[in-house]
Amino acid sequence: MNLSENIGQLTPFIIMVVAPLLLIVIISIKRNHLFSWLYTLLTFLLVAITALLAMENPLAEIPLFALDKFTYFYTILFSSAGFLIVLTSYRYFENRTEQKDEFYVLLVMATLGSSALVASRNFVSLFLSLEVLSVSLYALIAYLRKNELGIEAGIKYLVLAAMSSSFLLFGIALIYLETGTMDFGILAESLGPNLSVWILGGFALIIAGAGFKLSVAPFHWWTPDVYQGASSPVTSFIATISKGGMVGVIIRLFSSVKGYEYPSLVISISIIAIASMFTGNILALLQNNIKRLLAYSSISHLGYILVAFLAIPQNGAEAATFYLVAYFITTIGAFGIITILSDQDGEPESLDEYKGMFWKKPWLAACFSLVIFSLAGIPLTAGFLGKFYVASAGAGAGLWILLTVLVINSVIGVYYYLRVITTMFSTEKNEKTLPDLKLLSGAGLALLIIALAIIWLGILPSGIIELITRSTF
Amino acid sequence: MSQIPVHYAMLLAAILFAIGLIGVLSRRNIILMLMSVEIMLNAAGLAFIIAGSRWLQPDGQVMFIFILAMAAAEVSVGLALIVQMYQQHKTLDVNSINKMKG
Repeated sequence: MNLSENIGQLTPFIIMVVAPLLLIVIISIKRNHLFSWLYTLLTFLLVAITALLAMENPLAEIPLFALDKFTYFYTILFSSAGFLIVLTSYRYFENRTEQKDEFYVLLVMATLGSSALVASRNFVSLFLSLEVLSVSLYALIAYLRKNELGIEAGIKYLVLAAMSSSFLLFGIALIYLETGTMDFGILAESLGPNLSVWILGGFALIIAGAGFKLSVAPFHWWTPDVYQGASSPVTSFIATISKGGMVGVIIRLFSSVKGYEYPSLVISISIIAIASMFTGNILALLQNNIKRLLAYSSISHLGYILVAFLAIPQNGAEAATFYLVAYFITTIGAFGIITILSDQDGEPESLDEYKGMFWKKPWLAACFSLVIFSLAGIPLTAGFLGKFYVASAGAGAGLWILLTVLVINSVIGVYYYLRVITTMFSTEKNEKTLPDLKLLSGAGLALLIIALAIIWLGILPSGIIELITRSTF
Repeated sequence: MSQIPVHYAMLLAAILFAIGLIGVLSRRNIILMLMSVEIMLNAAGLAFIIAGSRWLQPDGQVMFIFILAMAAAEVSVGLALIVQMYQQHKTLDVNSINKMKG
């Protein structure tokens, strides 16, 4: 490949590499939170625009990375998500006494890792991008170092993530031992109709490693603790961009090796999907901490996405991607509102602090209700169409057991989501004062974009569906 | 020169991996847990070298160097976190810092 001819295809990635390095240099000369904030917003905006332009002409062939429409679609998704997360978190960090600027450096680097992960078409690049993502995340989770829970969450995540990386690596090594290749395309050709014990073991270890990143049951134990301990903008990042990268690369791997043709893989993924849907929803019923509740709800959402994986021959990749878009918007909205409601003393984590919020902040409460409706999958929101799309792909592939479980779990889910909403409307006295939100601030703008996007995806999804159909396999 | 059969070598890697895994699960001192994770990562690295030598490709060794570099990065962040943890809690025992449950 000629670099000078294909510079346009590489620009989004070059920006994500150069921008954080440049920001480190700028920070070492002079710290200015407002500047770092605007700089990062501009970085994400530029990445999204250049990726959109590169999408028109995605022909570059390089050995380790596939720069195709799928990659660019996910890169646009991640950079827009990063844009919204940064937009909501200015005042959150302004209220903190820690140094603020390095947060933005780490955030862009982690987004680079996630985008490169989706672009990977070789286990070597998969591993490297996963580690760029993970190592940035260790530091991000423990970023507010005066917060004891942050350090605890960081250490838990570090030990478990390193352990899951070694599972993933050992699995890759087993597959490499048997097939002699680490490239997804060549691997697909060298796998016969019957998988040997070594390859099955390899896939099992890879599923364990990837399942940790996706936080699906039974690899989900870190999720509630890390969600609670990390600061809300970081939690939002872990819930969306970090999991999205893994979903992207697993779709690529699964559809290139045609994993849905091997009964053993299908059965193990079905069991994981069913276990995640039930564990997530049932444990969420017991929670009184909103961040832990959202953690368990994310476990069940990833379970729904796994259902779409098994339907890859029947536009499952489109369904998973659409579900991911809807999940991204609503999750960033939910954590964005928690971020906005945080003050110097900390974050409003307990559900009690939301009592009567509607009577004090009607607009914010309405936004939160919309987000919760979308998470629950109530019609006319993005979440409903996502679930509908997944269910129709699953029905096309004849996955009736999984669909039954999905429907049962949607009903269980509605119960605890509605509990959050009734809390906001309760008329009990609550002395807690909530911080003001100006519409013309970054956070107000972000909430407006999120609310409009949820309704737009829920009512007029055809534009985005067409874009997804053109960019998936 | 007679060659060691590949599957014997893989067995060694698997045993090392299991030792590391048992270490992570049973140890409660955070530094020893990090060391056990390093054993697991190196076991995976050894498996790559074995696989690479089976196919006479350099890829396995390249992968091992990547693993070493990544493990170093991970440990440096890990040790920084441990220093913070020790300053806050005056202990290296992970059970005593475990505050979040449920």
